[in-house]
Amino acid sequence: MKKIKYIARIKRYNPDTKESYWQDFPVEVEDSLTVLELLMYIKDKIDGSLTFRAFCRSAICGSCAMVINGRAGLSCKIQAKDKIRNGVIRIEPLHHLPVVKDLVVDQEPAFDKFKKIKPYLVPDPKKVPDSLNSESLVTPEEFKLYDKQTDCILCMACYGSCNALEGEEKYLGPFQLTKAFRFIADSRDGVDIEERIKLVEDHGIWDCVQCQMCLAACPKGIKPAEDILELRRIAKDSGEDNPGTRRAKHWFADVFATGQIDKWHLPENAFGDEVGKEMTKQLEEEFRARGLKEEEFGPQPFDGIEQFQKFLKRLVKEAE
Amino acid sequence: MGKKIGIYPGCCFQGADVHNYDILVAFLKNMDLEEVLLDRSACCGGGVIDETNKLIVYGLNARNIALAEEAGVDLYTPCNTCYMIIAKTKLALDSDPKLKEKINEILAEEGLEYKGTATIYHTLNLIRDFIGLEEYKSKLKRKIEGVKVAPYYGCHVLAPNEVALDDPENPTLLKEILEPLGVEIVDGYKNEYTCCGYHASYTNPQQKEQLAVKPLEGAKEAGADLVATPCPLCHKAMDGHDEPIIQVLQLINVACGMTPEEALFHYNKTPVNLAL
Repeated sequence: MKKIKYIARIKRYNPDTKESYWQDFPVEVEDSLTVLELLMYIKDKIDGSLTFRAFCRSAICGSCAMVINGRAGLSCKIQAKDKIRNGVIRIEPLHHLPVVKDLVVDQEPAFDKFKKIKPYLVPDPKKVPDSLNSESLVTPEEFKLYDKQTDCILCMACYGSCNALEGEEKYLGPFQLTKAFRFIADSRDGVDIEERIKLVEDHGIWDCVQCQMCLAACPKGIKPAEDILELRRIAKDSGEDNPGTRRAKHWFADVFATGQIDKWHLPENAFGDEVGKEMTKQLEEEFRARGLKEEEFGPQPFDGIEQFQKFLKRLVKEAE
Repeated sequence: MGKKIGIYPGCCFQGADVHNYDILVAFLKNMDLEEVLLDRSACCGGGVIDETNKLIVYGLNARNIALAEEAGVDLYTPCNTCYMIIAKTKLALDSDPKLKEKINEILAEEGLEYKGTATIYHTLNLIRDFIGLEEYKSKLKRKIEGVKVAPYYGCHVLAPNEVALDDPENPTLLKEILEPLGVEIVDGYKNEYTCCGYHASYTNPQQKEQLAVKPLEGAKEAGADLVATPCPLCHKAMDGHDEPIIQVLQLINVACGMTPEEALFHYNKTPVNLAL
């Protein structure tokens, strides 16, 4: 077995002294270690006080998520040698959760948010028989809609790398919203879609900044940011009226009309209030100050727009 | 005239942001590239049309790529988000023959076909792979000295991993592009990789404001005079605060001999002063 030398740079936290600091552990170890095995090696051979949470070592229990080189993931699923950058691996606890000790975070605040979305199936009596003698049928097509999302192991890697939480700590979080989508998509669920959507409105789907970090973090290949777009679509289709749903409607109408969005009118169209109107007016003044003609304020249809509109109509039809 | 490149003008190059198009055209001229404007291209969807239907996003962007392929060129956009969405579409179509076939059937309405031959470029990989770093350096005419610049990538060129343009865990490309301009690089600053919040501008403006200032403040704390981003959307979100931010293409244009006025510095809300 080949041995390699590098530095494990680990963010420590001592709850007794409330001291947080980076500590370098120079190691010479086999090149086949996972990050978790590296941590176990350090705990065993160098510093017994190093604290981390782990259990199954098989990427299924979801205990060992942490931030490695700035990206969250499961330490048991990641090869240490792939993570060496300039001779160093940086390991720190998940972000946005209180640190208990070293790499162990308190998951409760994220679970408290999770509970808000009703993360369980409420059987629809029309779909789920109350007798055990008959089955509750789900077709493969129905299951395909949320198959991937059922793989979530609640490891919180997405939560620990979420940018929306950086700006708004009340934000529900990515895995919470993925689960909300999963139950809305489940044909056996008896909760009204409108009710489920209401559960994800407050500091939920509209706080997401679509940075895509949750896609990069998920050890199961789930795409919470894309599920959030689905939830926004469902909110729009179920009649929700807010800046987000109005933005989506105008966006599509603008693209249909000219091929491009009209940023000039977007504020008044999306916000639909005095603030929005004022923003659109301000833009107008800016354009005039720049010497732009009115036809240059917003997009104009390109040559051949009718052809494009035919294409788009057909695309929408196919998409339905 | 040099090599031809297809220009995809997303929403941040027209209407309210038409100066970004002028910055882009000047950059192409400075790099001796010939612009093939994809003038029938349409909005990438901006992550918002996904809220209508994902297939529509694939269709729109397959069409955008097909327009480049019809013209026999690759597709270049400086916008991080346009790049990410178009690159995601390319990945989806290239890995799913059924989807490709379905989309091509619809594209035939306009006499177009998605072949999958065009490469999708953003400023970062355009300079590295299409122009070449050495060739790029040879086009620079002067050094911009005495200014400490903090590189700010923005999210969509580093995530998701499948379309990342550099090692997301230790990106160096932006530094390699900025350093030859003569500026001093300040990296490793606090919130260097925090999102600018642009995409919450309409859904939660407060959220956007909270985020936009974080990288700016981190860069200032680390001693930077100026933040430089390749993405016009990040620029739009972060410009107008106390700390100045500039688009990488504007800096390159100045290093290629243009005056700050010619590089359209006067459209930046927070003044950027370079001692040239």
